[in-house]
Amino acid sequence: MESNTNGNSAVSNATISSATATSLPSVQGAVPSSKLTQLTESLKLEHQFLRVPFEHYKKTIRANHRAVEKEVSAVMSTLSDSGDLSQDDAVKHLNSLVSRLQGLKRKLEDGSRAEHLQAQRCKARLDHLESAGADNISEWNNTRLKRILVDYMLRMSYYTTATQLAESSHIQDLVDIEIFYEAKRVMDALRNKEVAPALAWCADNKSRLKKSKSKFEFQLRLQEFIELVRNEKNLQAVTYSRKHLSPWAASYMKEFQKVFATLAFTCNTGCETYKVLFDAKQWDFLMEQFKQEFCRLYGMTLEPLLNIYLQAGLSALKTPFCYEDDCPKEDPLSQESFRKLAMPLPYSKQHHSKLVCYITKELMDTENPPLVLPNGYVYSTKALEEMARNNNGTITCPRTRDVFSYSQVTKAFIS
Amino acid sequence: MELNPIKDAFDSVIKKQTLSSSKIEDTIEQITQEIQQTLSGIQSAINVPSSQPKLILGELKTKLKEIAPLNHLEATQKELNIAMSKYTKLLEKQFYPDISKSYRNVDFDTHIINQIIASHLYRESMFEIGDCFINEAHEEETIVDKKTQFLEMYEILESMKSHDLTPALKWATTNHDKLQKTGSDIELQLHRLQFLEILQNGSRDEALKYGRTHFAPFATQHFHEIQKLMACLLWVGKIDSSPYSDLVSPTHWAKLADELAQQFCNLLGESYESPLKVTVAAGVQGLPTLLKLMNVMTGKKQEWQSMKQLPVPVDLGTEFQFHSIFVCPVSREQAGEDNPPMMMSCGHVLCRQSITKLSKNNSTRPFKCPYCPAEVEVAQCKQLYF
Ligand SMILES: [Zn+2]
Repeated sequence: MESNTNGNSAVSNATISSATATSLPSVQGAVPSSKLTQLTESLKLEHQFLRVPFEHYKKTIRANHRAVEKEVSAVMSTLSDSGDLSQDDAVKHLNSLVSRLQGLKRKLEDGSRAEHLQAQRCKARLDHLESAGADNISEWNNTRLKRILVDYMLRMSYYTTATQLAESSHIQDLVDIEIFYEAKRVMDALRNKEVAPALAWCADNKSRLKKSKSKFEFQLRLQEFIELVRNEKNLQAVTYSRKHLSPWAASYMKEFQKVFATLAFTCNTGCETYKVLFDAKQWDFLMEQFKQEFCRLYGMTLEPLLNIYLQAGLSALKTPFCYEDDCPKEDPLSQESFRKLAMPLPYSKQHHSKLVCYITKELMDTENPPLVLPNGYVYSTKALEEMARNNNGTITCPRTRDVFSYSQVTKAFIS
Repeated sequence: MELNPIKDAFDSVIKKQTLSSSKIEDTIEQITQEIQQTLSGIQSAINVPSSQPKLILGELKTKLKEIAPLNHLEATQKELNIAMSKYTKLLEKQFYPDISKSYRNVDFDTHIINQIIASHLYRESMFEIGDCFINEAHEEETIVDKKTQFLEMYEILESMKSHDLTPALKWATTNHDKLQKTGSDIELQLHRLQFLEILQNGSRDEALKYGRTHFAPFATQHFHEIQKLMACLLWVGKIDSSPYSDLVSPTHWAKLADELAQQFCNLLGESYESPLKVTVAAGVQGLPTLLKLMNVMTGKKQEWQSMKQLPVPVDLGTEFQFHSIFVCPVSREQAGEDNPPMMMSCGHVLCRQSITKLSKNNSTRPFKCPYCPAEVEVAQCKQLYF
């Protein structure tokens, strides 16, 4: 064989680096430092994990402040209105104000209990992120998968399973069950074709919805209007639209006009443009719309976390070899279900060769270099050495069943 | 990532919030007191005909206006708001604020995902939760077979935890032929553990009898192993102080349980690790790279949605390496069926297209290897199979 400067230098490099590696004190035990870098990087994906409970906390604080502002200014203004009162009436009036303020105090006590709980939850999440380290990495990863599954179940409205999974794994503080129950009330109502809870939710979050230019409330109002037309309550429909739709007319003129025209066409219309407005699917659309508004408000991704991680994982794992019959079982893409999910996703890309020994499934690198049999099949040095040792120097190619002597094996240089 | 600044920012929110709460409390208390004072003023003057409630109420009004309770609260609330938005901004800066940026808007079949989740729950021995999930997601029980299979596996493993090998041995005996075919010696390993268990409990006769019945079928293939085991009979009841003490180390149980789970999954045609777990773990590792990619691809969202291959490599740990990927060092292209890896006579490997180019399409003319001084010929290049 000719001189192999490349191969030789690679080998000597490898020996040097392994020597330094062993001389370093192994502080991190069995977990290599690259794993810890990965862990740190993966923590950066947890924005939602901290953001959602914080939005909840902020919401409670804001609600409490609003209650104070409302009550205090009410007290001030009734005082201004009191005018000419008899002594008795003045006493009565002042007493009512005092009890009103006491009511506010009680309300605030409840409110600050809720605030406290939510602050604790935010803290628990920070602590959980901080607890991730070399010694508990696999347990921490398992918990993350459970969190991701609970998130998926909540978004799909599988509340019972979500709760069971969270409770059995003691991760209630790390998932957002309570928050999703708030959505459940609205969703259940929309499923029953009721808009009242959804409208109440809009009122609760008025300023923030306005900020994000949401037209969800308008869509709810339109639906209510359509339902009035469907039931031939035309007069009521007109009154309704004057009160609830006209404020939106300026911003959404086209939709406003279109829906208003249903008064002329009624629900038995054959005209496609108007028929869809009466379709029961409009309610599904509203539910979908609500979900999106809800997620946006809490700083959640619109897609379930599970779908996001699955897509990223499938793209990173997907190679043309995954779809061949001999794809190993350990590759998730050997399974039909995973292959189907990966179908519309891109293949991964490699800039450097990564060779896996067919026999040992270990990486073939400078420490365990690839060896070539005369038939062109490549296996790792470790695998062939062991086979030769156990079989008096003969090698049987596991794929072609050809038999060779170990001396016929040659080195391949992969750069 | 440095979590301390984030924790500090949160603590400052808590501090401002506590401040704001106590201020609110004080203000309400103050108003209440003023009203109550006025109240007692009116009541004590109730028999004084000249007293004018209107005047007293007017005084109260002026007083309360002076206190200006709402303005009073404004300042602390503003501070609280600043602290809150600081925290939110810090989160946005330190974390990836939107991890769905690289998400492709494709139809991700809910039914398939649900099936994957259900089998994951079963294989992780969360049987009740799995049942509940199937019920709530209205999935048909097509994976109920999987459940019974994994149920059997966990029963075996549970028994092993209390050093009861009966179910494990029953499974191994039933699957004797299949295990032999895959080359697994787990059946012998189980018998060995059982044999040693009997020995440790001190009954030589029983152990001898057990060894004779159960080791016999393995005698030809595992002669040395069995010899060693039978020699243990000399140390009945005190193997831990014998030359064979390593045979009874408690780690054998855990190791064998792992091995059994692996073989069990193998016979079922399942992977040892949950495929959902593997994929999500790969996703966690790969997502940061994809998100960074999206940052440089802004404005090319459409392109991203239709790309057939990722434009950058996503480095995953070796545990996710299931296939050999050969990348030609000359053309930087991934080898495939139509462009396979070829080894030149010097041992360096390129893909076929690169070799054709280097040889200028002449199969007999020698050309120089780009990686060493060797002169090589196309005719001597050999296709490799990884
Ligand atoms: Zn060469």
